Amino acid sequence: MLTKKLPPLQSFLVQVSRRASHVARQQYDVIVVGGGHAGTEAAAAAARVGAQTLLVSQKIHTIGALSCNPSLGGVGKGQLVKEIDALDGVCGRAGDWAGIHFSILNRSKGPAVWGPRAQLDRQRYREFIQSELLSTPRLTVLEGSVEELLVTEPNPEEPGQHRVTGIRLANESHPISASSVILTTGTFLSGSLFMGQTTSPGGRIGDAPSSAGLSHTLRERLGLRTGRLRTGTPPRIVKDSVDLSLAQLHPPDSHSTPFSFLNTHTRCKPEEQLPCYLTYTTPGVERVVKESLHLNCHIQQDTKGPRYCPSIESRVLRFPGRSHRVWLEPEGMTSDLLYPQGLSMTMPPDVQLRLIREIPAMHRAEIHTPGYGVQYDFVCPTQLSPALQVKSTQGLFLAGQINGTTGYEEAAAQGLWAGVNAARWALSMPAVALSRTESYIGVLIDDLVSRGVTEPYRMFTSRAEFRTTLRPDNADLRLTLKGFEEVGCVSSFRYQKAVRVRDSLQDALAALQSLALSPSIWRKKMPDIPMSETKNNVPTGMDILQYNDVSFETMASAFPECLSPYMEFSQRLKIEAVYRPHSEQQRKEIERIQREENMSLPQDIDYLSLPVSLSQEVREILDRVRPSTLGAATRLQGITPAAVVHLLNYVRHTGQKERRPHRYRTDQREDEEPRARNTSLPR
Amino acid sequence: MLPSVYHGVWRAAVHTLRTRGTPPCRLLSTAPLADAETIFALSSGHGRCGVAVVRTSGPASATALKHMAGLTRNLPPPRTALLRSITHPQSKEVLDRGLVLWFPAPHSFTGEDCVEFHIHGGPAVITAVLQALGSVAGMRPADAGEFTRRAFQAGKLGLTEVEGLGDLIHAETEAQRRQALRQMSGELGRLYQDWSHRLKRCLAHVEAFIDFSEDELIEDGVLNQVDSSVCDLQAEMERHLKDERRGERLRSGVQVVIAGATNAGKSSLLNTLCQRPAAIVSPIAGTTRDVVETALDIGGFPILLSDTAGLRDSPDLVEREGVRRARERVEQADLTLVVVDCAHLSSDAQQAAAFIQGHLTSVLPTQEQPESVFPTDRFLLVLNKSDLLPEEQKQKLDRELRCVSGLPPVCLISCHTNEGLQDFLTVLHSSVKTLCGDPLSGAPTLTQARHRAHLQQCFAALAQYQRYRDMDMALAAEGVRLALTSLGRITGRVGAEEILDIIFKDFCIGK
Repeated sequence: MLTKKLPPLQSFLVQVSRRASHVARQQYDVIVVGGGHAGTEAAAAAARVGAQTLLVSQKIHTIGALSCNPSLGGVGKGQLVKEIDALDGVCGRAGDWAGIHFSILNRSKGPAVWGPRAQLDRQRYREFIQSELLSTPRLTVLEGSVEELLVTEPNPEEPGQHRVTGIRLANESHPISASSVILTTGTFLSGSLFMGQTTSPGGRIGDAPSSAGLSHTLRERLGLRTGRLRTGTPPRIVKDSVDLSLAQLHPPDSHSTPFSFLNTHTRCKPEEQLPCYLTYTTPGVERVVKESLHLNCHIQQDTKGPRYCPSIESRVLRFPGRSHRVWLEPEGMTSDLLYPQGLSMTMPPDVQLRLIREIPAMHRAEIHTPGYGVQYDFVCPTQLSPALQVKSTQGLFLAGQINGTTGYEEAAAQGLWAGVNAARWALSMPAVALSRTESYIGVLIDDLVSRGVTEPYRMFTSRAEFRTTLRPDNADLRLTLKGFEEVGCVSSFRYQKAVRVRDSLQDALAALQSLALSPSIWRKKMPDIPMSETKNNVPTGMDILQYNDVSFETMASAFPECLSPYMEFSQRLKIEAVYRPHSEQQRKEIERIQREENMSLPQDIDYLSLPVSLSQEVREILDRVRPSTLGAATRLQGITPAAVVHLLNYVRHTGQKERRPHRYRTDQREDEEPRARNTSLPR
Repeated sequence: MLPSVYHGVWRAAVHTLRTRGTPPCRLLSTAPLADAETIFALSSGHGRCGVAVVRTSGPASATALKHMAGLTRNLPPPRTALLRSITHPQSKEVLDRGLVLWFPAPHSFTGEDCVEFHIHGGPAVITAVLQALGSVAGMRPADAGEFTRRAFQAGKLGLTEVEGLGDLIHAETEAQRRQALRQMSGELGRLYQDWSHRLKRCLAHVEAFIDFSEDELIEDGVLNQVDSSVCDLQAEMERHLKDERRGERLRSGVQVVIAGATNAGKSSLLNTLCQRPAAIVSPIAGTTRDVVETALDIGGFPILLSDTAGLRDSPDLVEREGVRRARERVEQADLTLVVVDCAHLSSDAQQAAAFIQGHLTSVLPTQEQPESVFPTDRFLLVLNKSDLLPEEQKQKLDRELRCVSGLPPVCLISCHTNEGLQDFLTVLHSSVKTLCGDPLSGAPTLTQARHRAHLQQCFAALAQYQRYRDMDMALAAEGVRLALTSLGRITGRVGAEEILDIIFKDFCIGK
């Protein structure tokens, strides 16, 4: 994939705008509004599933822009990138193309929590994404501002049930119709920008605010509950004005590990890559923050900001008297700017300059663009189904910051899954869900739709119950096969590759398992292994490979005849051997949760009048949240075990009645039963 | 991690859907449903009763029956009562004699292999049998309502009974909640809460180290703190698990030793208590030379009462050996009755108290420091021969000794006239009851067995942390997660959000 030639940007733009002029009145299966991380993954995924897809963005040249930090991945986020890639998404390959500093975080803490991460060249990233979208069949890109979301009046037989019919662009009289619309408006939904004491409408500096019509439709016509969140971005620093000798140098890994399962190497070789620099705040920084508080509107307002990506203001106010880390990151191969990670700030520009100059390495630094804060609306995500469809509006899907999350990877993951389901909805295929037992994407979506958010949601590995099973190394086994066989968002090229990997790994593990030898033979073959006598009598290759200082390479050199064919998987086999006993222990728990998740609750239950014995309190909780499965219902606070039994009884009765007609439908394959299905985990 | 009570409901749900109607989804029909765990519980009501029924359900039922009813070759014919000696599967000790019944699957209440033990209804016997079952591999105490749920699972309950099951689960969880509250308000509850709190911090710090240490300023010392916390917790839990000998006391009897100076009336006390002349009594000092043992039932609790030689320096080799054995017994005793001849006491309360304290010190095992806090809960002071004191002095002594701090409970009795004996028995009963735990309030035998199982899991999980600490933090953290989940089964579950809250409170996370 890395060998692909990018089309020159100029001709690309011409092509797009030409398309736009003559396609604007067509009918599409899926329309994606927004060209950020969620929007681009959504559009690409919908097109991969087979839907005629239109991506509408205010400016075509900002599609794929990195609005904030020039980096991708990290601990938890890297896991998401691997999973997006496993489902044939775009961002992993884009990262491999645009990365200019690759490293694996948490290297010493175990492969389950490794955090693949890269600093990106902003321009290369954008170019890759734009070129990728352009070459995606069934996908059209259109520049324009969405004026209105078109929805039907509610069906009198199903109160509150609207249906999406399309969108209307500003300055266009004719609507564009579609079965599904995905909104990925990021921080643009009623967004306002803050810097010092000035406020202006908008979602990103330099871009026009989005139309008020959209948020009006969501709130007033569809009656969706919204909340307000805030975020911010640091000033960009002129590289030449920084004394980097006063900061700590952090070189990239000597061997770059690509994000994508399709790539064996990254575009930028390790020796060409750029370093990052680490420096620290000083007491002077704290002083400047405290002195300028009265000039800082953003920080005075009590909108919820993230606890884990806070501005420098909230950091020094919450943890005074400490020095905080500041990373100086390259913005691109040829960029003359640095991105000071950890210095997000919203004070007036002159104070920002004073603040950064309190840090020794930046004592003469110049600001290229000042930092600013953004406040924006989000739609409470408990109003969505696990397919990320608005429960009360058929065909309307939401993804990204509009659902209360923060971060590129979180947005991209939701975009991909919303794109898949929007396409399936448009093509009359049943919705698909990812379980929290099989993926971080599943954890993310389940947390959002069943718990909601109170602050911008970011992924951490600690959110995943089955962290040792949901590893970055096995994302392809967990998702690529399912993505092709059940979801339809994976190309057959990638699928074939994953099948080959799965089969080879299975063969290799079987070979290791069949190497059952007595301790004395092991000692003879591999003299360095710390073999204890008390271990079971005939340890297998799997047992031995679990040892801390035994690598697959050493084993393969001791048993070349049966193990050498699998050398390309040596790292994955070692990881598999170490984690397998724990995965086995967890499997029972995983299966239990998956069974719960497979019992769906009809969305139209009238909980308030349901003729079963439920307390008023339980009825109200169920009515408010409308869990989509019994599994989700049990996770709700306030739902008693007794209520679960009654619900189960109800589902069983109605389930039997409802299922009957399906059995006579011969046009529907059995495995297309409109219920979330599970898959067994890679063993 | 869901409360355990949900698990059963869900297993029930799935199974019923599977057995009764079309499977709701393709994979359900292939999912393995066999519940490997075998459960056991006291099925008859709690409290003293003539016959108690202990029931098991699950694949290990047959093993339990074979080992505990001495049926090594064949299982008994199904659904036929058989009178057997019921023995402990490891120690082979006979626990009771009673009826056993074998209900092979599927013709049983739960549809699984079931065994019923009909045993005598005393708390000691019940506890002994429950503990013996707990020692069989693959067996664990049942969760509240689990038998009914398994019956539901096997389709043994009709649809109309589901409503009843809902109510039952409600009632049981309500009872569990109340019981947990009751237990949690005590000292034990405070201990578990403290552990849970410390484990939460450990986990939060480990998770912070995993999720944030690459970007943030997480102090290097964080993991060292966790290490020492985990070490402390392990040591405390180990001690707790070891110290908690109440169950064993119930099974083998509380060791009660009578000790004191010669001719204080120790053997008379033994005879009075067992209402027969088990020990030779004479006015000659040094009559008892060896340990005389007798088993007694004090208010439903088994005790093993030992009379010992009077403590004095003697030139007689045999008597010296007797005194050595007496001291050894006191060291091993759960409870020591220190007998003092009250005729030796001064009429002045201060002097009497000083005398008694000196006497107790001489009785105490030598390695215990007399300066340290006197273990008053392991001693009872018996002032014998009260019939020799004038009424007035008796009352004064009784009144004044009660006010002296640092003394064990004091009882004034006369083995000769049985005066004060009833009061003494009440005090003895309450001491023994404390030592055994009270099996009559709530269902603590079951609860304790469950607590113990969870604590053992918690303890083992902490070892996983240490094993992987320097190899793989994800697996080490898994150990702490598991420990917290296990403890959470006692103290209430802990969600990921709670851990994140601690992380953000303790660290400045500012990526």
